[in-house]
Amino acid sequence: MIRVQNVTKTYRRGAETLRVLDDLSLEMERGRFFALMGPSGSGKTTLLNLIGGLDDPDSGSVVVDGVDLGSLSGAELSAWRAQSVGFVFQGFNLIPVLTALENVELPLTLAPLSRKERREHAEYALELVGLKDWARHRPKQLSGGQEQRVAIARAVATDPKLILADEPTGDLDRDSAEQVLELLGRLNRELGKTVLMVTHDPHAAEHARSIVHLDKGKLGTVGETPIPESTGA
Amino acid sequence: MTFLKLVVRNLLRHKVRTLLTVASVLVGIFLMVLLRSLDSSLVAGAAAAESDRLIVQSAVSLYVDLPLSYQAKIASLPQVESTCKWQWFGAYYQNERNQFGQFAVDPEALFDIYPEVEIVDGSKEGFLGNRRGCVVGEQLITRFDWKVGDTIPLIGSLFPHPDGPDVAWEFQIEAVYRPTTTNFDRQTLFFHWDYFEKTLDPRGTTPPGMGTLVLQVAEGVEPTEVMAAVDAMFENGPQRVQTTPEDEFQAQFISMFGNVPLFLASIGGAVLVAILLASVNTMLMAAREQTYDIGVMKALGFSDGRMFTLLAAQSMVLALAGGGLGIAAAVVTQPGLADLIAPYLPTQYVVGTGTLVLAAGIAVALGLGAGAVPALRAGRLRCVEALGSTE
Repeated sequence: MIRVQNVTKTYRRGAETLRVLDDLSLEMERGRFFALMGPSGSGKTTLLNLIGGLDDPDSGSVVVDGVDLGSLSGAELSAWRAQSVGFVFQGFNLIPVLTALENVELPLTLAPLSRKERREHAEYALELVGLKDWARHRPKQLSGGQEQRVAIARAVATDPKLILADEPTGDLDRDSAEQVLELLGRLNRELGKTVLMVTHDPHAAEHARSIVHLDKGKLGTVGETPIPESTGA
Repeated sequence: MTFLKLVVRNLLRHKVRTLLTVASVLVGIFLMVLLRSLDSSLVAGAAAAESDRLIVQSAVSLYVDLPLSYQAKIASLPQVESTCKWQWFGAYYQNERNQFGQFAVDPEALFDIYPEVEIVDGSKEGFLGNRRGCVVGEQLITRFDWKVGDTIPLIGSLFPHPDGPDVAWEFQIEAVYRPTTTNFDRQTLFFHWDYFEKTLDPRGTTPPGMGTLVLQVAEGVEPTEVMAAVDAMFENGPQRVQTTPEDEFQAQFISMFGNVPLFLASIGGAVLVAILLASVNTMLMAAREQTYDIGVMKALGFSDGRMFTLLAAQSMVLALAGGGLGIAAAVVTQPGLADLIAPYLPTQYVVGTGTLVLAAGIAVALGLGAGAVPALRAGRLRCVEALGSTE
């Protein structure tokens, strides 16, 4: 369960103060696939960052699976992210000097695993996204769609409960986008991951079970899509 | 996939830049070791000098000779055990680039006063018994591929041969010496004063003067007492003298070139500051390029401390690689440099362990110094700022 309560977040741009989230309250059920939609500047990415513990609200609280993120120190928050959250970014954000396999293995270096176990977990994650044969390739040797699938493999390598995806199909062609969306859907349906995806694309949002609309930092509508839900935990 | 692998991979993002930075640290540390070793060698030479050996020279300048008659007068002092004339000969072997020290000396007194001069080939008796004989340092033997029994022709610059400026003085190698201390040069040729004097002035009408007179103080006698006695003896001329302990003489000799330690320290310091700035610049560029990756890694759960360590480790690897290679280069080139520098140094060039430890310490400090700012910035960098996502 993700519980956002009375969250306000502002940014300063020069002399101007922008209220990006305005006393926002929201609850999201565990094990579901959510699409977070809204126009530019509506606060989608900011909300995603707050839920992922990448940023702090000015006021209010964010509680994920019973953990109040505001009560954690910086080091505790890092450890929580390492164990509980997988991130997928619009720009893929793979480390360019590492191979696909090493990128997937990277978050596993924070887990108490042997080198062999790390390697096995990473290979399994790559297999899950259908890129086992591309393990030795560097990001620049992969297509955009492949890079994003590697990023998804990296996000699930540590087996987190929550996947946060920020415009994961924004830089992809239609076919690659479809593959990525299908993959996120499978992670939700087959592995029971809670997926929260920021998107502009109504077609992408249709892959989600629930759609949350934000507008000017406030909660708009919350709706269900006709995607059948399966084994979510 | 290990942390060290990530450090190395990040350094290899720009191979040429990394290579140039390592090379700059290498050169800097090598120069630092070289300059420090030169300084230490000079200081060590003076420190190793005997305090009961005194050097008498003209009070005017080291370049002004003393009358030969002074030797007998000084030797007559009861506090003086023995004396040895030294005259800088200033010749060269085969061509003018082959310079090294040559001195006309009193052969027996040389060995009495300098027990650290150990004969390792040939014999002392052979040298003493041959008026044209000479004893040479072992590094000269190696440098010119000489051997005992060879006749060595030297063209005199300060003292041309009386038969003509192109006529060589000839010396026969009778013995090879190796000093047991670092303050005694290993590339010097000593020959008989008699041969020098009689060749220049066969009739004995205008004998050459002596550059310096080295005297051994008698056992139990305070050197300062002898110094005062010798200086007082010639206070009214015909030429005043200055008597100094050997260590002070060596220090004065070095100071003739100026404040060498300060000069060397200034160059060394400037070099180190330059490589520190180059390394800081490299690390700042590296950190800037890795900003996005730092944001990603923080999002994945890497702590501020780990990000600090990642950047600091990159700086440290650069500094240690360059420093290690610089130290290795200094050690490997030490014998060759010792030979090269020997003609210009009154003591032996030695790269000491202390200097190497200092160089290693400087390399570590360089790594810390160059990496501190980028590492702190990486540690403090907020994830959302690094990822540029503030919608």
